[in-house]
Amino acid sequence: MIGRFMKNGKTARAPELIPGTALAWLMGGFALLLLPQWDRLPVWLMASCAVLAGWRWLAQTGRIRLPGKLSRSGLMIVLVGVYIATVQGRFTVETASSFFVLAVGLKWLETRTVRDFYVLLFILIYLSSVNFLFRQEIHWTVINLAGVILLFVGLQVLNAPGAPGAVRSGWKRLGLMFLKTLPVVVLLFVFFPRMAPLWSVPLVSGEARTGISDSMTPGDISSLAQSDERAFRATFGADIPAHRDRYWRGLILDRLDGETWRQSRGREFRRPGRVSVDGGVGPLAPEEYDVLLEPTDQTWAFALEGSVPVSDNVGKNAEGLFRFNRPADTTVRYRMALAPQRNDSPDSLLNPQQYLQLPVSGNPRARELAQTLKDQTSGPEALAISILNRFREQQYFYTLRPPKMPDNGIDALLFDNKRGFCAHYAGAMTFLLRAADIPARVVVGYQGGSPGAGDEYLIVRQYDAHAWVEAWIPGQGWTRFDPTAAISPERIESGLRRAVQEEGSFLENDWTSPQRYGDMALLQWASLRLDMMNYHWQRWVVGYQGQSQMDLMSRLPGGFGLRELGYVTAAVVGGALLFAGLFTALRGRSFARRDPFSKLLGRWHSVCERAGVPVRHGETPSRQAERLARAEPSVATSAMTFARLVNKHYYAWTPEQSDTAHVRDSARGSALGSERNVKREMQEELGSMKRLLGRLSKQLKRSNSSTRQE
Amino acid sequence: MKEQIKKRWQRWINHRIPRRDHQVMTQRNIFILPTGAGVVFGLLLLIMLITGINYQNSLIYLLTFLLGAVFVAAMHQTHRNLAGLQLTVLSGGEGFPGESMSFRLRAKANGQDALAISLIWEDARIDQQHVIKAEPADLALAMIPSRRGYFRPDRIRVETRFPFGLLKAWSWLRPVTAGIVYPRPAPAPEATSTIQDGDQTSQSRSVDGNDHADIRPWREGDMSQRVMWKRFARTGEMVIADWEGEQGSPHWLDYEAFRGVDQELRLSYLADQVLERMKTSQPFGLNLPGHVIDPDVGRAHGTRCLKALAVFGLEKPREGDSLAYGTRQKDGTHGPQGSSAQGAPL
Repeated sequence: MIGRFMKNGKTARAPELIPGTALAWLMGGFALLLLPQWDRLPVWLMASCAVLAGWRWLAQTGRIRLPGKLSRSGLMIVLVGVYIATVQGRFTVETASSFFVLAVGLKWLETRTVRDFYVLLFILIYLSSVNFLFRQEIHWTVINLAGVILLFVGLQVLNAPGAPGAVRSGWKRLGLMFLKTLPVVVLLFVFFPRMAPLWSVPLVSGEARTGISDSMTPGDISSLAQSDERAFRATFGADIPAHRDRYWRGLILDRLDGETWRQSRGREFRRPGRVSVDGGVGPLAPEEYDVLLEPTDQTWAFALEGSVPVSDNVGKNAEGLFRFNRPADTTVRYRMALAPQRNDSPDSLLNPQQYLQLPVSGNPRARELAQTLKDQTSGPEALAISILNRFREQQYFYTLRPPKMPDNGIDALLFDNKRGFCAHYAGAMTFLLRAADIPARVVVGYQGGSPGAGDEYLIVRQYDAHAWVEAWIPGQGWTRFDPTAAISPERIESGLRRAVQEEGSFLENDWTSPQRYGDMALLQWASLRLDMMNYHWQRWVVGYQGQSQMDLMSRLPGGFGLRELGYVTAAVVGGALLFAGLFTALRGRSFARRDPFSKLLGRWHSVCERAGVPVRHGETPSRQAERLARAEPSVATSAMTFARLVNKHYYAWTPEQSDTAHVRDSARGSALGSERNVKREMQEELGSMKRLLGRLSKQLKRSNSSTRQE
Repeated sequence: MKEQIKKRWQRWINHRIPRRDHQVMTQRNIFILPTGAGVVFGLLLLIMLITGINYQNSLIYLLTFLLGAVFVAAMHQTHRNLAGLQLTVLSGGEGFPGESMSFRLRAKANGQDALAISLIWEDARIDQQHVIKAEPADLALAMIPSRRGYFRPDRIRVETRFPFGLLKAWSWLRPVTAGIVYPRPAPAPEATSTIQDGDQTSQSRSVDGNDHADIRPWREGDMSQRVMWKRFARTGEMVIADWEGEQGSPHWLDYEAFRGVDQELRLSYLADQVLERMKTSQPFGLNLPGHVIDPDVGRAHGTRCLKALAVFGLEKPREGDSLAYGTRQKDGTHGPQGSSAQGAPL
């Protein structure tokens, strides 16, 4: 076949166009890499990306033309305009990443040449690493990597258009490459020193995350109860505490503002920057537990009552709550310990007015009830208990479908409807306590949680969100009272699912949640397994950062610091390059390796040269031998014999012969033996030729010396 | 300064890659460097690493290392793709200046397939040539010579960017075999043409008869009519009578016919005449100083004459040693005749 050629320089330098198959793979990679962004990107952007890529594809097949420069810029202006209109000047990670996606979408129309293909490819590769900022679960990792792999298959198709089986061999080649380099990748991952961030770039997210908020209006938490998103996972050094003891305190609401409970301090100061994700190392002590918190964009760290911080990324504030020093914009791991119960509460409250605040008016009946109870009971604790008793004894209901209570909501709840959710009851009880001059506050957090696969750890989901009351009892300090426990003990003993079983309102709007189908064992099992895989993935791979690396290194012999890790990394990279180089060199050698026959020929040539018979190019060995014989008649016979042997080796040994010999021998039943025979014959032939050449050169020397003597 | 470096580099390459008609790509003569895209890819990896460090994101680290490792593996792949490729010059080609003439090569893959190979010489290039193992491919590089004479590309670049285009591995083939470029044909002026000479000869022949014949031994290619059969019967010698008068006959194209004309132009005239005769299938001979081609007809004869015109007065370029294709050997240096590497200067 005669290769295609281009006639002159003009056409050779014209930009090469992209083959359709390569483009298809690139588009496939793009589609996969967009998947992790699906809930962050506005719908119009996704749609226009699909339209733009589709347009490019139709242009490839020749059905329509790509837009010209003018209409392209027009399109760009329109789309960027829409983008600016929807963004409205907010600068968050979402807007940045959607701008990125918009740029990729517009680039499709400009992708004409191989150069454009590379530009797009590099942007897409960076998009995949942007995806990792948002999604780190194992399945998203797989999707992301699959997208990158598609890109590289496309790249191979681009670089070898028309090669037979390009796609299949591309997959194979890429797979082998990944496999071969896997040890290096693993070593690098383990040993590459995890430095502190070079500069602080907060991941400012404009997206409202599901999770508890810093204010509580009756009804808020009940919408949270419809979400099965994970809030955090906790591993305990010892056994998981009983369900009723798992009160995860998050924040305190101490200001009643109309119907809404708020934090009196207002929003905490949020320092920009990133929270340290190092959550302590080493095995858990029996009293310790470890929490892997999903991103909340808040500084709140949830902890059981009576905990003390162990890892240094959390601190305790004045209200006895735990806080990160930066908002948790990624998954954060922290470690706490359950301190033995001790009564170290101060004897008197510093600022009781803060916890006695009530609106000037409203809910007159509740205030009246508080006064009555205050007169009837002997002290704060007795009063609190009497409120709980009222909830327990009267017909109060725990429901996820509470009726609307617009005005004087607390009155309506306590005396008319008697139907509500934890937030309603907690708010109402705090109101009653405060009305009776007992300092009280609403605590918001989570209660309960369900065990993960193998009871290894606890999964706390958004529907475990809960609100309860703390009241100041002189001598005891802040004491927890949970009105929900009085009304619906199931909620506290075994969780929301059981509590609202009769009502059937558990996750009633979420058909896809595996949690909803708690009675289907197989589904539960599968979802828990997946969760466990992700949990370990998060802990050991995603969470492999500074301290955990140092911890691992400290278990290796010899003190490993960052510096040593740097050396190890350099050694790994250098070693890998050296290995690759050596491997290539050794392989290359095999092409140039000389077989013993050609070595022998080299010797023969030098013998001829010494005898004064120059080796001529393109001369057959027998011709050469003839000339040698003419020059040195004494070695004529040996030379001719040698030439004959050379001829025999190179020309008489045809593959057909060896095949027939092989067939014959295998008929005798020893294929292996025949191979050995052939080898032995070769060896014998070689040996005899060597001996012959030795004799020949000796003869030559003798004749040379004799001529000199004459 | 720049020129000097370039010169040194060229000299070093010429030293490293001797002129040969048969070349096997090994790590000795393959060079490898990242392409522009490869450099950008490296920068991208750096940016990704910084992103990973700043966001303390293990998965970005992982992706960066994975792609970095692929880059290194691609280095090996690209090198391997070219290694083991054998290139052998089949022929240097023949043609007229300004017209495309094909320099023909045979490519054979040893070891593994060599995919997406490019052969480049100045403006001539073959792109995306796949050489499958055990399936030698014959390639023709279309070159456009500008001057008459021997035409030998100095270095033909053999390049591959497979599999990712992030790295390029290349080598050069420095052929010994040269193509032959005929003189550019130019119509000869009528006045000095052979027709006039023909008139003279008929006159001279009628006067002098056969007396002025040169007698010379028979050579291959002589027409049988011109053998002096009488003398053959007498002595057994085959001799030819070259009639002096024939020198100016229309059967002879004569270099001396265009007195006072520049050498190149004379050759162009002659080339044009050769082509003319070939078209009309007239027998003709060519008389060049020091090279006489006796009259004959046919394509082969015409080509022979054109070649003689092409190389007239030129030395054949020689450097290194050529090897004909088809000799039974695996490798240019180590076959039964491949002695050059052991230091047997010709």
